[in-house]
Amino acid sequence: MIQKKICMVGVFGTGKTCLVQQFVHSIFAARYLTTVGVKIDRKDVKSGDLDVRLMLWDLEGRDGIRDVNSSYVRGAHGIIYVADGTRKETVDQVFDIRNNVISSIGDVPSVIALNKIDLTGDWKLTPDDETALASKGVNVLRTSARTGEGVEHTFQWLADEAVKAEGQGT
Amino acid sequence: MTIAIDAFGLTDTGKVRKSNQDNFLIVEVRKSVEVHHSSLANDLYAERFGVSGGHLFVVADGVGGGPQGDRASGDTIKALLDYVGETVGCFNAASASKDHALFERLEETVRAVHVKLIETHGGGQGPATTLTMVLLIWPRAYVVHVGDSRAYVRRAGKMQQLTRDQTFGEYMISLGAWTEEQAARSTPGATLTSAIGGSQLEPVVGLIDIEAGDSILLCTDGLTKHVSDERLADVLAEPTDSERMVRTLVGEALAAGGTDNVSVIVVRSSDSA
Repeated sequence: MIQKKICMVGVFGTGKTCLVQQFVHSIFAARYLTTVGVKIDRKDVKSGDLDVRLMLWDLEGRDGIRDVNSSYVRGAHGIIYVADGTRKETVDQVFDIRNNVISSIGDVPSVIALNKIDLTGDWKLTPDDETALASKGVNVLRTSARTGEGVEHTFQWLADEAVKAEGQGT
Repeated sequence: MTIAIDAFGLTDTGKVRKSNQDNFLIVEVRKSVEVHHSSLANDLYAERFGVSGGHLFVVADGVGGGPQGDRASGDTIKALLDYVGETVGCFNAASASKDHALFERLEETVRAVHVKLIETHGGGQGPATTLTMVLLIWPRAYVVHVGDSRAYVRRAGKMQQLTRDQTFGEYMISLGAWTEEQAARSTPGATLTSAIGGSQLEPVVGLIDIEAGDSILLCTDGLTKHVSDERLADVLAEPTDSERMVRTLVGEALAAGGTDNVSVIVVRSSDSA
């Protein structure tokens, strides 16, 4: 079993904890609770023929603060940057955070999760916005922690990339 | 920077219960190797010899009739102490894999006590215990949590709860099925959904990097059922030492009825340079 540290990063209230809860426990917690520090979960997945244990570091998100405690992301094999598609500013913030993470630990495999796609009436990103995001050289996936849509795929994609990045894949 | 840790703990039977099934522990783990003088930078010999030590803080609230609940909480703390005593001196917190290894061993220790309790007393029908543990290897505080005892951190004037109660009421609230009032009124609301020795065990782990000036509070529910979060924050904001804070909090829980055993640990960090 190989182990990969995956960090959930993004500003306050974007749904990082809910995505982990949906992925690990298949539940959606309706009540919002702030994460303090880092909460750590794990889930075992397959990547090709390999058994991979994902250690999921759910980092606290701070309102409007775009830096990340570098000691929390050190040693990460993959990062999920989480933005809230109903709050367009969180998408800009996630790119600032990404730049800070890259300057701190280098460019590890990563994906941007545009979360809360179930809130279709409140969605603030146009198709052109999403196309523009995808052209910035990072994989952008849509997720809903509430319904589970896109969640499994996002974590699995990153697990595969983290394995490939270290030459462990087939 | 030299960090000073001021910690104090206290437990009380309360005014209603006949015995105290809570236990608490405060431990400072010291290295046997001490560098007295060196031209090397501090972090170089920390790397060579491991960290300079650590602190372990634990509260546990035993559940079950008579002395069995006390034994459950006591046995859990002793097992953790054995593990930490053997390990922490060699532990260097500067790598993710070592973080994961530490958590896995702490979880294994908790699960081993759980299995022992189940084997001795039967499947979830015997004594059980909550556990809230902070292992501080400066600056990183590793948290392991089971049940409804709590850990809080106070930083820059803001008090935040590090743990979430593992109770049926909290579970229903999180799903949006109950309001907080409904959970508080309902008797099953207080039922533990996870306990060491209980029918289910789901340890939650996490960490936080502590800064000079931060305070940590660990407590059993004998405190939080009588003293509000706002009042906890007020007491931790007072310019006094950890012992006075703890005695104030326990005194207020008793004055408000003392319906349960109560245990409290306060940890204050400061820059002593």
